[in-house]
Amino acid sequence: MNTYLLRKVDVRPLLEEAAADWEIYAPLREESGDVNFKALPKADPAASLENLSLDDEPTLLSPKSLFFPQSETMFSFGQGGIRESVEASPKLLFGIASCDLAGILFSDGFFAKDFPDKYYLSRAEGRLIIVKGCLRPPRPGSCFCHSAGTGPFAEAGFDLQLVDLGAYFLVEAGSERGEGFVAAHERFFARSGGSADPIREAEASNAAARSRAVKEAAKGALGPGVAFATALELMRDGDFEKNYARIGERCIYCGACLYVCPTCTCFNVVDRAVDGEGTRMRTWDGCVFEGYTREASGHNPRPTKAARTARRYEHKLKYDPLVAGRSGCVGCGRCLDSCPVGIGMSKFIREVADGSEEM
Amino acid sequence: MTGASAYNEYLPRPTKITAIRRETFDVKTFSLEFLDDTGRFSYQQGQFAEISVLGEGEVPISITSSPTRKGPLEFTIRAAGRVTRAMHELEVGDILHLRGPYGNAFPFEELKGRNLYFVAGGIGLAPLRSLINMVLDSKRDFEKVKILYGAKNPEELCSRDELANWNEIPGVEVLLTVDRAGPAWTGPVGLVTALWDAAALSPENAVAILCGPPIMIKFAAAGLSERGFPDEAIVMTLERYMKCGVGKCGHCNIGGSFVCTDGPVFDYSQIKRMPAKEGVF
Repeated sequence: MNTYLLRKVDVRPLLEEAAADWEIYAPLREESGDVNFKALPKADPAASLENLSLDDEPTLLSPKSLFFPQSETMFSFGQGGIRESVEASPKLLFGIASCDLAGILFSDGFFAKDFPDKYYLSRAEGRLIIVKGCLRPPRPGSCFCHSAGTGPFAEAGFDLQLVDLGAYFLVEAGSERGEGFVAAHERFFARSGGSADPIREAEASNAAARSRAVKEAAKGALGPGVAFATALELMRDGDFEKNYARIGERCIYCGACLYVCPTCTCFNVVDRAVDGEGTRMRTWDGCVFEGYTREASGHNPRPTKAARTARRYEHKLKYDPLVAGRSGCVGCGRCLDSCPVGIGMSKFIREVADGSEEM
Repeated sequence: MTGASAYNEYLPRPTKITAIRRETFDVKTFSLEFLDDTGRFSYQQGQFAEISVLGEGEVPISITSSPTRKGPLEFTIRAAGRVTRAMHELEVGDILHLRGPYGNAFPFEELKGRNLYFVAGGIGLAPLRSLINMVLDSKRDFEKVKILYGAKNPEELCSRDELANWNEIPGVEVLLTVDRAGPAWTGPVGLVTALWDAAALSPENAVAILCGPPIMIKFAAAGLSERGFPDEAIVMTLERYMKCGVGKCGHCNIGGSFVCTDGPVFDYSQIKRMPAKEGVF
């Protein structure tokens, strides 16, 4: 794995240059004050880059919507027959956290298996992912990537990964595509290691050592975390019906936790038509909603709040490990941060692991 | 990953309605033929298709015709929700869109040489009909075939002409029951499980294949179990609200299974491993 150095002052010019070839999504501060992954406009990327956030601020929404939008057209229909609607433009995701990378990789596997989902895969095709590891937890008390094994730095799966060393980033290349991006913009990247210049070489080896220290410190900054592995073990055969009943009574079924979750990918499908011309759309849906399983006859196989609450936790923590080989929870903590009544995954995992009643 | 050039599983193909047969006051059987020739539609007994009324939506419907019969695809559909009510407004010559087939199939080779009990309730006869006709097309490969079929009342029995024809075939017996008899009804009254004795139900070298409302399947499966049928010899097809049919939308999830891709056909041992709180029946 090659590493490079990228000065922080060069990040904006680099993205400005890359905007000619890519549809770039980066953590940008919105007018509301929230930070979210927004597209850089091709016309004037520099102005938007004024709002670039490089400081481990929490992004309100996960980047899943870049590949699986909240609402998308599947096809249109009418006099011209069925016309497929597929968006495919190479996206560059800059500065996503390692937990979000884990979420994307999980969803990749889900959408690619059995019957490949063309809408998701088309949006994901040709993408480039630049991870920026978190030095401080963006959602302190809520996020637990170190417990879930998804961060604060990624081991693999990225194209490039940035390690914040103060005035510059150490850049780890994780794929051929990542190397290609560095080569295409090489004036911004100094090769770390292998330089003929002894001073540069000393700086580079210093950077490698500092990078290791920074990664260790970042783990420490996350605190004790949660007993994730213990909870997964207990979820296999344990009886947590009382937890589901209690949490189910408190939940207000707004669905915020599902919408912000990087791996929640359930959807509904609806047709919209006027005079025979219309579109088939798909939109995010969620297992906590009462209508999610209700059949046309009125029969609802999952009618209770407790059963729907169980579905949410057991899907992520019990069945995903069985079916997908890893938990559907990546430890980002967004569910707890977005919940109006203080329900969230880190609390649930503590309840399972130590028998407490946190919610 | 392959993306933009890949096959799009969600795009339905146009079909023309070539016949409509009324089964009951709210059930019709539609015969469909593809308008395009973009590929064969090769299906197995027990599979389903996603049928669209564009502008109204799409619903999963089991294929009721047999793969052994030439001719149109057939779907028996109750006017229950928005899409199926819209279907019932259509006439011969109108267009429906279709994609599939999806899901697994009823066993077939494994049934050869066995006594078969088909246990159906209401419109639940439709998915079984595909397998029944397939079995009857090579009847000599099977032992006795008994078809136990119940409905709310005599008017809600589907495929009445065909039931009478099946009953004429040597080695085939059709037993009917209704919850509420009308003036013209002389047969048994009660749930389909009340036919066990009349059918001389025996687990010996037998397989039971079930489809019907959740409550019927629940009691029928338990009843067969009491009568000594091993779990693997109780086969059923489940219904569940679903959108995509291909294991993506999430609606039909039960435990770690998708009814659409892991099912809809399961045996009782698989069903028993599913979490009961998910409302399997």
